[in-house]
Amino acid sequence: MAKKYVGQRMTRTEDPRLLTGQALFVDDVDLPDMLHAAFLRSDYAHARLRSIDVSAARSRPGVVAVYTAEDMGDAWRPGPPLVSPPPTVEDIVFHSRTQVPLVKDKVRLAGEPLAVVIAESRYIAEDALEDILVDLEPLGAVVDLEKALEPDAPLVHDDLDSNLAAHLIQEKGDYAVAREKADLVIRRRILIDRGTAAAMENRGIVAHWDEKNQQLTLWDTTQAPIPIRNGLAGMFGLSTHQVRVIAPFVGGGFGPKIMMFYPEEVVLTWATLKLGRPIKWIEDRRENFFATNQERGQVHDAELALTRDGRILGLRDDFIHDTGAYDPYGLTVPLNTQCHALGPYEIPNYYGELKVVFTNRPIVSPLRGAGRSQGVFVIERLLDLAAKELGIDPVEIRKRNLLSPDVFPYDNKIIDQAFVPLVYDSGNYRPVLEKAAAMIDYDRFLNEEQPRLRTEGRHVGIGIVSFIETTGIGPYEGARVTVETSGRINVATGVGTQGQGHFTSFAQIAADQLGVSPRDVHLVTGDTSQFHWGTGTFASRGAVVAGNAIHAAATTVRDKVLKLASKVLETPEEELELDDGQVRVADIPQRSISLGELAVRANPLRGAVEPGTEPGLEATAYFGPKYGATASGAHAMIIEVDPETMMVEIKRYVLVEDCGTVINPLIVEGQLHGGVALGIGNSYYEQLMYDENGQLLNASFADYLVPTASEVPRVEIAHLETPSPLNPLGSKGVGEGGCIPVPALFAQALEDALADYDIEILEAPMSPNKLFELLQGKEKEQ
Amino acid sequence: MSDQFTVTVTVNGTQYERTVEPRLLLSDFLRHDLGLTGTHVGCEHGVCGACTIVFDGEPVRSCLMFAVQADGHQILTVEGLGTPENLHPLQEAFWEAHGVQCGFCTPGFLMSLVPFLEGNPYPTEEEIREAISGNLCRCTGYQHIVEAVQLAAVKMRT
Amino acid sequence: MKVEGEYVFNGPREEVWELVRDPEVLATALPGTQSLNQVSENEYQGKMHVRVGPVAGVFSGRVVVSDEVQPESYTLTVEGRGSPGFAKGTGQVQLTDQGDGTTLMKYEGEVQIGGKVASVGQRLLDTASKSMIRQGLEALNKALQARVAQSEGQEEVEYNLPSEAKFAAAVAKDMAGEMLSSSRMIWMAVAVIIVIVIVAVIWMSRGGG
Repeated sequence: MAKKYVGQRMTRTEDPRLLTGQALFVDDVDLPDMLHAAFLRSDYAHARLRSIDVSAARSRPGVVAVYTAEDMGDAWRPGPPLVSPPPTVEDIVFHSRTQVPLVKDKVRLAGEPLAVVIAESRYIAEDALEDILVDLEPLGAVVDLEKALEPDAPLVHDDLDSNLAAHLIQEKGDYAVAREKADLVIRRRILIDRGTAAAMENRGIVAHWDEKNQQLTLWDTTQAPIPIRNGLAGMFGLSTHQVRVIAPFVGGGFGPKIMMFYPEEVVLTWATLKLGRPIKWIEDRRENFFATNQERGQVHDAELALTRDGRILGLRDDFIHDTGAYDPYGLTVPLNTQCHALGPYEIPNYYGELKVVFTNRPIVSPLRGAGRSQGVFVIERLLDLAAKELGIDPVEIRKRNLLSPDVFPYDNKIIDQAFVPLVYDSGNYRPVLEKAAAMIDYDRFLNEEQPRLRTEGRHVGIGIVSFIETTGIGPYEGARVTVETSGRINVATGVGTQGQGHFTSFAQIAADQLGVSPRDVHLVTGDTSQFHWGTGTFASRGAVVAGNAIHAAATTVRDKVLKLASKVLETPEEELELDDGQVRVADIPQRSISLGELAVRANPLRGAVEPGTEPGLEATAYFGPKYGATASGAHAMIIEVDPETMMVEIKRYVLVEDCGTVINPLIVEGQLHGGVALGIGNSYYEQLMYDENGQLLNASFADYLVPTASEVPRVEIAHLETPSPLNPLGSKGVGEGGCIPVPALFAQALEDALADYDIEILEAPMSPNKLFELLQGKEKEQ
Repeated sequence: MSDQFTVTVTVNGTQYERTVEPRLLLSDFLRHDLGLTGTHVGCEHGVCGACTIVFDGEPVRSCLMFAVQADGHQILTVEGLGTPENLHPLQEAFWEAHGVQCGFCTPGFLMSLVPFLEGNPYPTEEEIREAISGNLCRCTGYQHIVEAVQLAAVKMRT
Repeated sequence: MKVEGEYVFNGPREEVWELVRDPEVLATALPGTQSLNQVSENEYQGKMHVRVGPVAGVFSGRVVVSDEVQPESYTLTVEGRGSPGFAKGTGQVQLTDQGDGTTLMKYEGEVQIGGKVASVGQRLLDTASKSMIRQGLEALNKALQARVAQSEGQEEVEYNLPSEAKFAAAVAKDMAGEMLSSSRMIWMAVAVIIVIVIVAVIWMSRGGG
C-alpha cells in the first residue's frame, strides 16, 4: 500500500542548496549591464519639500541617472489601496491614503524616498546621494496616537480635516446591560508599541526591461509575486504576459514583504522601462527600519465585566490604532485585534470602538500576528487582573470561560479581516489548556516549587495563557500538478516561500495522492511564469489554501492516472494501486506501468485527443475556503527575574498547539520555535523607539535587540488536533501561533515572579528599563 | 577617483587576484567580484553574523573588513565546506535536525561553527548557545540549530 | 532633549569673552570647521566636517545670536543640516568670574537631532560628543593660557592645536574606554552647536566691531 506522507517528520528537500550557499536570493542575481540604485531618504518625519536639485549628482562620473517625482511625470501616482474598507459595516469612516513612489510635495515619514540615483555601482550611487541638495521645511510631527486626534494637531494629510483614518464600531449583544449586571468590572488602559519584522534578508529588487523581447522581469523579495505582476503590468500599460515576477529564495518574510507596491518596486520598474537596462536595489539594514513596514502600535481603553465567580459577561475594547503615514492595508490589522480579543472564550456581549490614526511614522501592515497579538494581550491581561481581584487561579478562570466543544461552528458575530462574521470552525480548547498546565507541572510549581524558591529569595513566576488564531483565509490559491515523462511530478503554485518548507510539505501532499516519494516531487513557487493565479503568503494560509489546491489537483491527476492505467493494464480501476512511482495491479505486482511511461502514453504523437479529454497527466485546481480556519493554543512558562538587574531567564517554556491536521511535524515545530522567539522579542527586548519628532532612535541591531540563542529557551511542544471541516486536508494554519500569545504570557509570568511588588503590567513590549520603573513605584511587600 | 589596489587572496583553496577600490567591503568582494554568493549580508554593521567567513582559521565578519585587508590571507566560505552531493557533516546535521528555514543566516552559522567545533568537539548546550549568540536567526528560534550542532559534534567525532 | 554642562577656564572672564570671539582660535579649536561667514547682523553660516563612529559628513550650520549681555551671557539659536542628519537647538551661555583668576562657563539648552546620526549613533553620540566638547574646551583653555601668559610678559607658551586626525583618534580612544555609556544626552550635537555657536560669536564680534 502507498505510504502516507502527510504527517511525517520529513527533512526538507530544499535544504542541500541552502546549506551549501547555492540557493538564489535576490541579491545574488547578476545580469550583464546591470545598474544599481540608491534612494535619498528624508531625515525629517514631516516636512514640505521646497526644492530638490540633483544636477550635481547627475554629473558625477559613474552616475547614469537621477530621478525625482517630477521626472516621473504621469507615471507618478499613489499606490492602489490593497484592502478596501469592510462593506458590511454601517457608519464606517474610512479615508484611503496610499504611499507615493517619490515625495512630490510633502514628506510624511522619516525615510520617505525623495530621489533615486542609478549608477554603475551601489558605492557610486551612495556617493551621489550626498551631491543632492534638498530644501525641506520641517513641520511639526504627529507621533503620539492621542495627540494625533487633538484639534490642533498637525495634519499628516492636508486634504483631510483630521488625522483620523478610520472609525468604526462593532458590537454584539448589549455591553451596557452586561456591565450593569456585573459583579466586577476591570477597566484598564493598555499600551502596545511597535516592532519590526527584521527578517535577516532585507528587501531587494532586480528589475529588468528587455526592450528587444518587450519583457519585464522582476526578482523581488515579495510574499505576493502574482499581485505584484498584475499591479505593475497595469501601472505601466503592459500585458500581464509581458511581466514575470520571481520571488526566489527569500530570507524571511514575516508579513512586511507582502506589502505591495513599495515605492522602490514602482520606481525601479519605471526606471528600467526608461533606461532599458537591468537595475538592482538592495535595501540596507538601516533603510529596512524605515522603508519596510512595521506593526503593533495601539492604545486600548478596555474593560471586562464579570460575575463574582469569574464568568465573563461582556468585553468593551475601545482603541486607537496607528497606521503610520499611509493606510494601504486598510483595516486588516485592527480588525484582527478586535476579533482576537474575544479569544477562545464565550463573550456574549461586546462593544468595540476602533479609531485608526495617521502618524508621521512608517506604514503599518501585517507583521507575524497581524494585530492578533494585541487583541490577545488585552483579553488575557484583563482576565489575569480579574483573577487576581476575585481570588481565582488564572487557569481556573480561563476554564470557566472557554467555549465548549459542542458549539462549533461558533459564530462570533463581529466581522474579521475577511469582512465576514468571525466563525470558529472547530476546536476543543479545554484539553489544550489543561495539557499545557500539565506539561509545565502548573499545580506542583505553585504549591511546592515556587514557595520554596521564594524562601530562598528568588523571584520565579509562572504564566499560562490561551488563545485562538484565525488562519487559512481565502480568497483562494491554485496549483497545477503534472506527471513528467521521467516519472517526476511537477507542482506549481502561486504562493511564495520564505522558509516555511513549502518545497517539502507541498510535496508530501502530492506524493500521498500519486504514490511517489516526496523527493520525486518538484515544487515551483513564487514564479508568475509558472503559475499566475493566486494571492500570496500571509495569514498562516500557505499550507491550508495552497496545500488544499495541490491536494485537489493531485487527486484529479490521480484519477487520470487510474483511468488511463486501467485501459493500458486492462484492469478495473478499483483493482489498481499507486506505489513507488508505479501503477500496479493489486496482488499481481508484475502487471504494472511506471508513471513516466503512462505520461508518455497520455501524450501520443499520433492519434487525436478525444473530446472532453486533455493530453498528458496534468490538472489545475483551485481552493477557496468558505472562511478561515481557527487554530488554537496554550502557552506556559516559568521565568526568573533578578529585581536588581531586571534581567530575566526563562526556565521552562511549553506550548500546546491545535492546528488541525499536521502535514509535517518537523516543519510545524520549527515554525512554533521561531514564532516564540519573535514573541519573546516583542515581549521584552524589541521596541522601535521614536522621539517626538518622529525620529527613530534605534535603527540598527546594536540598539534594536533581536533575541539571540542566549535569550530563547528550549520550547516543549505538544499537538492536539481538531481537524478543520473547511478543507479536505483538515488543516489549519500555524505560522503565527508561536508569537501571538507571548507578550500576554510574559506579563502574567513577570507579575507572578514579582508578586511581592504587586505590579501591574499593562504595556507591551516591556523592557528592563520599564520593569525597573514599575518596581521603583512600588513598596516591596513581603 | 580613488586608488586601485591589487588583492591576492586564497578562497576555498583557489587563489584569486583582483584589482579593487580600498573601500570595497570584503563581503561585497566575495559576493560580487568572486561570485561566491553563499556569504550573505544582513546588516553591514557586524551584529547579525550572516556574513561570517573563516579567515586564517578564525570566524570573522566579512562586512566589517575591506577586501584589501584580505590580501595574502586564506578564506573559507560556505562554498568551500561542501556541495549538495557531498555535504560536510555539519551541513548534514543541520539538514537532519531541521536547522534551516529560510536559509539566509545559515552560511554565517556554519562558518562560525566550523572553528568552534574544531576547538570544542564535546560542546555542552550552554557552550553551543554562547558560541552562536553572535549569529541572529529570525526563523528557527535556535532550538533546531542547537540540536544540529549537537548532532554535528557526534558526526565529526566518528 | 536637554543639554547642559560647565567648564572652568584658567583666565579672567574678560579674556575668555575676547577669546571666544577670536575666530582664528576658535575655528581651529575643533578641527573640521571648514568655513564661517557672516550673513547678516546676527546671523552666521558655517560648514563643519563631523565624524561620529561610522557616521561622517559635512554639517552646514546657521547661527543666530541674541540677548547679548557682555561679558556675561548670550543666547544662541542654531540649525545644522547635512548628510549625517540634522540638529536644531537653542542654548544659553553664561560666563562667571570665580574670583580666583578662573572663569566658569555654563551652558544649557534644548536640542533636537535627527537623521542618520540619531538613528544609529545614539550610544556613540554620548561618548563621542562629550569627548569632542572636552577636547575643544581644553584647546580653548590652552589658547587662553597662552594668551594670558603672553599678556603678562611671560615666555611665549607654545601650544599646538590637535590635528584633525589626532583629534579623531582621541575621540575614538575615549569611546573605547567608555563602552557602557547609555545616557540619553546627545552630546555630539552639543559639540557641534557649541562650536558653531562660539565661532559665530567671534565673527559677530569681529563684524560688529
